[in-house]
Amino acid sequence: MNNFSVSVSSSTGSVPPVAMPDAPAKVTARGLNFYYGEHHALKNINLVLGANRVTAFIGPSGCGKSTLLRIFNRMYDLYPDQKATGQLMLDQTNVLDPKLDLNLLRARVGMVFQKPTPFPMTIYENIAFGIRLYEKISKSEMDGRVEKALRGGALWNEVKDKLNASGLSLSGGQQQRLCIARTVAVRPEVILFDEPCSALDPISTAKIEELIQELAEDYTIAIVTHNMQQAARVSDKTAFMYLGELIEFDDTNKIFTSPSDRRTQDYITGRFG
Amino acid sequence: MADMAVQSDVMEAAGPYDRARALSAFKFGDVTFYWITRACAISVLLILGGIIVSLIAGAWPAMKEYGFSFLFTSRWAPSNDPPVLGALGPIYGTLVTSVIAMMIAIPVGLGIAVFLTELCPQWLRRPIGIAVELLAGIPSIIYGMWGFFVLGPFMADSFQPFVIKVFDGVPILGTIFAGPPSYLSLFNASLILAIMVLPFITAISVDVFKTVPPVLKEAAYGVGCTTWEVVRNVVIPYTRVGVIGGIMLALGRALGETMAVTFIIGNAFKITGSVFSPGTTISAAIASEFAESDGLHQSGLILLGLLLFVLTFFVLAAARLMLMRLEKKGGN
Repeated sequence: MNNFSVSVSSSTGSVPPVAMPDAPAKVTARGLNFYYGEHHALKNINLVLGANRVTAFIGPSGCGKSTLLRIFNRMYDLYPDQKATGQLMLDQTNVLDPKLDLNLLRARVGMVFQKPTPFPMTIYENIAFGIRLYEKISKSEMDGRVEKALRGGALWNEVKDKLNASGLSLSGGQQQRLCIARTVAVRPEVILFDEPCSALDPISTAKIEELIQELAEDYTIAIVTHNMQQAARVSDKTAFMYLGELIEFDDTNKIFTSPSDRRTQDYITGRFG
Repeated sequence: MADMAVQSDVMEAAGPYDRARALSAFKFGDVTFYWITRACAISVLLILGGIIVSLIAGAWPAMKEYGFSFLFTSRWAPSNDPPVLGALGPIYGTLVTSVIAMMIAIPVGLGIAVFLTELCPQWLRRPIGIAVELLAGIPSIIYGMWGFFVLGPFMADSFQPFVIKVFDGVPILGTIFAGPPSYLSLFNASLILAIMVLPFITAISVDVFKTVPPVLKEAAYGVGCTTWEVVRNVVIPYTRVGVIGGIMLALGRALGETMAVTFIIGNAFKITGSVFSPGTTISAAIASEFAESDGLHQSGLILLGLLLFVLTFFVLAAARLMLMRLEKKGGN
């Protein structure tokens, strides 16, 4: 799976519990903690997402996988009693900086949700909407960008004749690919997938997994999943989380063949979770 | 032992018979229930039909006398012999006050709703919400008195002279905001109407805004939208059917509101271009004249009522049509 040339990052320094990725660091978390009000949901998370790598997050429900993802684009900021401490860097940007422009951050870090979330507008507008937030471009240029994004979401051939139909008229799998296309359209650097296939049938799931692998050529990807085969299939690195802690973070092959922590082994063999 | 055996025998024998009887009793209850609910539903049609028939019957003499010219005559002289009656003044006043009221109430009402659902800190949410509900609970006569004693003098002494001066000499706007200032005017009535219908728009908008799935809003924030962009492009399109429903309810109330408007509109049947001059609305005209009317005059007032009924019906029908076209065009 790692058919990239190996290049070692020098900028991040050594972080003891983290195995260094064989790619430049894109997102670096150091001593990251998260609180829902009084509840301490994430405890001292240290990890590095390698650029152009797919990193999977697995673990039982409530272990903090999705919470961690929601820190990467500061989505938790919408809710007043949630807060994060520690350090989280996106390249040279401090993500937790309270003065950070959140709209810009979210343009750099796109997100695809568990349930498909097409906006209440046409298929074309669903894509053009995000682009229009950042760029003023002509109609013909926009047509090109929309087509490119829909091709990127592996949806173009299915919808090219009905771009003016409502986004809600598509099937669940198509809606999810529309959401991926919409995310890709604003040219992010990182894409977060929060259980993107849990509401989809096996064929749609296969299409999206294939798509995620293709997207890794251009983007850094983090995916939360409950499906361990899926994590094994799509990811380069896997992080196992349990009760708000990062238990083990290593090459996907190693996690699924010879995990070093007992709890990881119990989880992937189905003894709990 | 033997006793029990006998008992169970009896029960078995009685079982099927009892069940059938119980069922038939239920059936009777069900039929009764069906007819009661049906009668309730039909009574709505009967009442509506009865109102329409009695309005038409009452308005018939005036319809026969004036025909369609009733709609286009602006003179209202009921004490002439025969009385000269034209509905143009009240129709104009009704439309103008409602339109201005909606122009004020829609942005403010939606603004309050957006603030309450998207931006308001938790501790401020309840006080504002309750205040809006209380606004809806104030009887219209109180709005009328407040408009007469407080708002009218303030508008005539401070606001109107200022606006008249600003727009003096400007084409069109100069006519709309022409002097002299007046305690009783179309604009004052519109303001009161706007305050009165505001809670409808806000309450319904808040309710429908709350139905937007959080994940949909997160998705919009996720592509980098500001709060304004999320509201403009996701929340309002997602909820537009409900929002338009609230606006239509408000418009219906504005068209028909009587008491407060009668207090402060001035009851003048003359049509002028200025919103600062006194006017009248259909309901205000009926309320202020009906008690002292008879004969053709009374019939003319009933005809005015019928017109209001038709006007409201068309507004609601137009709203329905607009919604249907919106739904076809895209979104949901």
